[in-house]
Amino acid sequence: MKSAAVPTVFIIDDDRGMRQAIHDLVESVGLRAESFATGEAFLGTRHTGRPSCLVLDVRLPQMSGLDFQRRLAETGMQIPVIFVTAHGDIPMSVRALKSGAVEFLTKPFRDQDLLDAIQQALQRDQTAQEQQAEIHDLQERYHALTAREREVMTLVVSGRLNKQIASEIGASEATVKVHRGHVMQKMQAGSVVDLVRMADKLKLPPCK
Amino acid sequence: MANEDVQKTLAELSRDLQESKARLEEAQRVAHVGHWEWDLETDVVVWSDETYRIFGLSPQERPMDLATVRAMVHPEDRESLYRGVDEDLVAGVRPDAEFRIVRPNGEVRTVHSVTPKRWSSMPGDAKRDASGRPYKLFGTVQDITDRKRAEEALKQSQFYLSEGQRLAHMGSWASNDLGIRWSDDLGIYWSEEVYKIYGLDPQNGAPNLKQYLATIHPDDRASMAETIRVMHEQRCACDVTKRIVRPDGEVRYVRCVGVPVFEAGVFKAFHGTTIDVTEHELLTQELRRERAYLTEAQSLTHTGSWACNLLTREIFHSSDENARLYGFDPSQGAIPFDRFYNAILAEDEVALRAKLENAIRGGADYDVEFRIRRTDGAIRFLRGIGHHNPSQEIGEYIGITMDITERKRAEEEREKLRQLEADLAHINRVNMMGELAAALAHEIRQPIAASITSANACLRWLARDPPDLERARAAATRIEQDGNRAADVINHLRSFYKKGTPPEREIVDLKDIIREMTALLRKEAVRHSIRIHSELHEDMPNVLADRVQLQQVFMNLMLNAIDAMKDIGGKLTISSRLTPEGQLVVSISDTGVGLPTENTEQIFDAFHTTKPQGTGMGLAITRSIVEAHGGRVWATANQEAGATFHFTLAAKAEADA
Repeated sequence: MKSAAVPTVFIIDDDRGMRQAIHDLVESVGLRAESFATGEAFLGTRHTGRPSCLVLDVRLPQMSGLDFQRRLAETGMQIPVIFVTAHGDIPMSVRALKSGAVEFLTKPFRDQDLLDAIQQALQRDQTAQEQQAEIHDLQERYHALTAREREVMTLVVSGRLNKQIASEIGASEATVKVHRGHVMQKMQAGSVVDLVRMADKLKLPPCK
Repeated sequence: MANEDVQKTLAELSRDLQESKARLEEAQRVAHVGHWEWDLETDVVVWSDETYRIFGLSPQERPMDLATVRAMVHPEDRESLYRGVDEDLVAGVRPDAEFRIVRPNGEVRTVHSVTPKRWSSMPGDAKRDASGRPYKLFGTVQDITDRKRAEEALKQSQFYLSEGQRLAHMGSWASNDLGIRWSDDLGIYWSEEVYKIYGLDPQNGAPNLKQYLATIHPDDRASMAETIRVMHEQRCACDVTKRIVRPDGEVRYVRCVGVPVFEAGVFKAFHGTTIDVTEHELLTQELRRERAYLTEAQSLTHTGSWACNLLTREIFHSSDENARLYGFDPSQGAIPFDRFYNAILAEDEVALRAKLENAIRGGADYDVEFRIRRTDGAIRFLRGIGHHNPSQEIGEYIGITMDITERKRAEEEREKLRQLEADLAHINRVNMMGELAAALAHEIRQPIAASITSANACLRWLARDPPDLERARAAATRIEQDGNRAADVINHLRSFYKKGTPPEREIVDLKDIIREMTALLRKEAVRHSIRIHSELHEDMPNVLADRVQLQQVFMNLMLNAIDAMKDIGGKLTISSRLTPEGQLVVSISDTGVGLPTENTEQIFDAFHTTKPQGTGMGLAITRSIVEAHGGRVWATANQEAGATFHFTLAAKAEADA
């Protein structure tokens, strides 16, 4: 399902010629492109679900590209950004890259440089989205567990033996085995090691 | 016998009588004394020979009577004389009169006529008639004219002396005792004027020593007493000025000069003068004060005054401060002209000498500035102002010299400040140029970047299998649009530039522009020890050009030349020549650092600069202006040092065609 989605490259540049040119270049390599003249216009559209990245002009009419990048982060929107600028300087690029920009390109740039940056950004976004989806999945499974099962899971990933778990929760060892079986099944864990990795991803607090 | 004897005796007597009469006559002649007899009855007058002579007549020339005598008396004295004689006769007093007579030749003489005492007191003196009234008078007459004149002269000279003393406030004194006796009671003689000077009454007589010292001002009293004591002991002269206090309390300055008088080596007395010098002394004090103020003022303002003859190198006057300006010690006595002159720095001396020589030749005043090396080694700026009075000898000047080092330094500070401001303005301009360049760069870069990206896209559409010609065409169209957009930016900029400075072609005399620019940059040049020199073609034709733009060309090239010689100094030469084609070639040459060894052509490119503060626009602008005028500009390296920038302009005849 995820691999079927066509990645989208969003472009924000106030210069129409530049915007169109990048848009066209992106489409020429078979990617989807959506371009906007301002940051506001971009924020007004829905663009979730598929890997994407943002090609952002540093100098925008209302708000500088760098400020816009910070605003995106504040709204929790995680999208890799590639900066392009007609006149960049080193401090500006350092600031951009520190804030998590993928690349900082000076116009005019080599097309391959932009495309490489876009690929890298999409890859990064896809990975991030996959991780996000997996965690989301695990959380759903975890929420499907009963309170007793969550308790048992916590103790299992802490490395307790069934006997120990039984004494801790005041149940028979057989009962613990049943709970444990349910946990492994509901969480779709093939082994205890699997389960430990899931707990790690879910950032479950260790017991005691 | 007796008769013979008598005869003989008579003859002897007669001879004796004759002899004594002759002796008497002789005596009378020598003494200018004659005698007379007056018969009161007949008014017949008998005169001796000398009496005739006194009256300017030959002896016994004719008989005399009273009327004749009366007529000879000076008309002014006649009345009083006869009235006096009558009164005397009536009163029984012997007549004694001085009166003037007029000789026949008009000469006036003064005579003294007297009846001898002996005669009048004795019965036979005046022969009397029976009633006792005298009928004959006898007397002598003496010519006292010379004595009278001497008396008059003496009186006159005494008058002049006393008047002179009075006018000069000067009296004389003498003391016989001062050198001989020494006591409080020593006596001295004072002339009337001395009393006046001391405000004392002559009636009370001259003061004794004690009284005299009491008249002296208390502050001077001891020293005056000492002076007198020394005079007394050593019999020496004195010349002292002391204060006295008059009885009314007024203080006067009195100068007393005394000398000992010796006769045949023996001391006789002290003689001297006493002069009231109060006015003189006050004036002197005033002058001294004025002089002190002047000296103070000179030292405060570092101004010295002097008077000298520049040709003969004689100094007539040089104030203390004048010496101090050069670091000389004024207490060391007069400083010769050459010591002053040699302090002048050699590099300033030549110009200074020329100016002074000019002034001397023209008999004119001068005002010069020059530097000296003071005796302590410090370099000081001096300003000398000399005034020549046409009535003086040639070369004679009176004037002042001021130390203007501080003022000069302040001027230099101001100049530095001004330079700083200019630099700042320049930096501002550079910054503005930078801003402009950045804005331009952004404006132009945008469409260029867009077209490059579109071209990339276009190529990718074409590279597809099958090629997407539709999209490729669209991309190519955008490339065209963006290319045009870039061109528009440049066109816009150009039209903006043109709008700012519409071309103003007029007939321009390059000599004018060169003169203006030379005047404008001279100060800058002088500061960097650069001489500006022009070698212009004699018949330099006028050109048709934009005056302001040409000024800019000269300004840029001359500033470049100055910049190139900034640290080393040198010579900036502007020259011109005409080519056979009628082109005017102007060359601006410097002796500075020269051209970069490679990329000589690049120096005319915009933004190409070798200077830290340069905009890199100067030569680019120069080139665009020259080319706009149909000329060209190039640079060559000089044989010796530095570079020469040349540009051509069409002479006016061509431009008209």
